[in-house]
Amino acid sequence: MKRAYRFLLLLYPREHRDRFAGEMIRVFEEASGERRARGRAWFVRFAFAEIHGLIAGAAGAWFDRGDAPSAPEQVLPGDLAEAQRLVDMNIAGMVHAIANHQFEKARVFSYQERQAREKLCMLRQKYNDEYGMPC
Amino acid sequence: MTEPVLLILTSLADQPRHGYALLKDIESLSGGRVRMSTGTLFGALPRLLEDGWIERFELEDTSRQKQAYRLTAFGRRQLQQELDRMKQLTRAGFARLRAGEAI
Repeated sequence: MKRAYRFLLLLYPREHRDRFAGEMIRVFEEASGERRARGRAWFVRFAFAEIHGLIAGAAGAWFDRGDAPSAPEQVLPGDLAEAQRLVDMNIAGMVHAIANHQFEKARVFSYQERQAREKLCMLRQKYNDEYGMPC
Repeated sequence: MTEPVLLILTSLADQPRHGYALLKDIESLSGGRVRMSTGTLFGALPRLLEDGWIERFELEDTSRQKQAYRLTAFGRRQLQQELDRMKQLTRAGFARLRAGEAI
């Protein structure tokens, strides 16, 4: 479940992840331990609520993003910024498609996101992981 | 003001809390009715931080969880206004129910 949680956190915009992902994982771990102790039915309900909450939260974070500062992107070299933009765009598309139950479309975005992320990783290596997290 | 926001502000009204303590307190505040997910909590917190209703600070204890949140003076005023509004509405609602029963 923890792995799935970490994976779903990838749906959030990068700035949200940088700021809150560590804290979210810690809170999730505590809540998950407590729910598990209450019994299987409690934990299953909790897991569904968490998945739904993460998808809705990610969609909300992308919508709120318009006001967010874009300073990190401004200092990136052009090719790296473009690769990051493609990853973000595909994640946003995937979140929107999942939220609208368009799973085939979500799969296409997921495939494109994987390709865009591979390119981003190559570029990060080119810049010696100087910008953002290493792949 | 949405219900999650109202619950978060109410939970922070008497003391600062970290993320998990907020979830637990909200469950208890709502009599077990609301079990907020981390996605909902961390969807609302950034907006409240950005609007200056709450602030984030580092707890000075040795626990793993170091980030905590507290109400700002502005957030306290917003909560007060919302509660006043709800009180007024509740009063009006009960008055109408009583009037309806009397007919």
